[in-house]
Amino acid sequence: MTKKQQRKMTIIFGVIGVLLVAGIVMTAGSYTQEEDVVTVIRDSVIHDTNKIDLFGLEVNPGLIAGFAVTGILTVFALIVRIFVIPRFTLVPGKFQMVLEWLVGYFSGLSETNSPRKNRLLGAYVFAAGFYIFAGTMFELFGIQAVTTSGHSVALPAPLSDVNGAIMMGCTSYLFIVLGGILNNGVGGLGGALKEFSLPISMSFRLFGALVSGAIVTELVYHYMGLSYVLPVIIGVLFTCLHALIQAYVLTMLVALFYGEVSEPSEKKLSKLSAKAQKTKSQTA
Amino acid sequence: MPLGLNFTQIFLHLFNFLLLFAILYFLLYKPVKDFMEKRAKTYRDLDNETRTNLKESEETKALYDSKIANADSEISQMKQKSHQDIEKNREAQIKAAKDEAERIIKEAKDEAVREKERIMEEAQTEISEMVADATEKLALKATSSEAFDQFLNAVDLAEERGSKHEQ
Repeated sequence: MTKKQQRKMTIIFGVIGVLLVAGIVMTAGSYTQEEDVVTVIRDSVIHDTNKIDLFGLEVNPGLIAGFAVTGILTVFALIVRIFVIPRFTLVPGKFQMVLEWLVGYFSGLSETNSPRKNRLLGAYVFAAGFYIFAGTMFELFGIQAVTTSGHSVALPAPLSDVNGAIMMGCTSYLFIVLGGILNNGVGGLGGALKEFSLPISMSFRLFGALVSGAIVTELVYHYMGLSYVLPVIIGVLFTCLHALIQAYVLTMLVALFYGEVSEPSEKKLSKLSAKAQKTKSQTA
Repeated sequence: MPLGLNFTQIFLHLFNFLLLFAILYFLLYKPVKDFMEKRAKTYRDLDNETRTNLKESEETKALYDSKIANADSEISQMKQKSHQDIEKNREAQIKAAKDEAERIIKEAKDEAVREKERIMEEAQTEISEMVADATEKLALKATSSEAFDQFLNAVDLAEERGSKHEQ
């Protein structure tokens, strides 16, 4: 970059900074909130204030967000299945490459961590990763829903609801237990049950990570001095990072533990090696 | 329930997630993975085929290389053989020509001998005929001296002719 270009960039950023400060000063006092920050943060964690009516049942906005995400992903998957996949070519285009990369990544993750019976694991981590990523990105759209008290709330990430996070953690754990039973029978079940803290740690890791992101974003939105530009940057960056990191962490943990519990036991290994030796000697 | 825990909602989340899992598996994951596996198989087959073809072409190349390396010696051998054949043919032709010439000369000699014998026979026949004529004439027309002279002249004449024929 030449000196002239550097000067030009400095002037542009300086003008933007001055305009932002002017905006903050001039709009001071004109910004009001329906709820105070404590209530908002408490509701983000406990969900005891804002409820949404679902066929007569009062549920958290996170559940509605979950259904919305499933609906959106279903439509997306249908469109891809009907219009895109039949037109796949041997030399992939851009969109095909993205789809293949996604499937290849999760499939590779399962094959790397669990060399045996990994097709179901690949499908599970694909679905879980897709759900966590899409669900977290969903909160960026700020789709509004009306609460039972008549307020309007932006639908949050489905997994920022403690019930959603617990479901994901426990389902993942049950899937790991299932993998242990399928691969090693009762021995595999024992191996999986040894990791009894796993559902709690996975659930609350997911919940904590997503809620902390929501809290930081709410705090930024609630303070006037920070309400220009920063919320956009922080909101988008935090959400994208959460989406990627949480999808990666949960899928990686599931694949790792599944691989661990599906490893053949020493007894089984010695049986297998004896069988292999017998076959070898017979062939010889 | 503390912390807003609600089992109904947990089960609703679970139902939602299982539904999504099934949808994503059947609509996205399985078809894309099947396609990728099929394509990998196609490329694997192509790779194997290419390897086989490459091996075959390398073998063919080695064969032709060895043929090229032996070509010079083969050419010189063929040259030598053709020279030998030509020499044999030439000798055979010369021998045939010699035989033919000998045969012709022999035939010519035989013919000449036969011709000579024929001429001698003819000459003897003529002489005897002339002698008979002369004797006949002498006995019929002239005196004995004249007849004797005529007889002598006729004999001389016949001898001259015989010597000419011999030459």
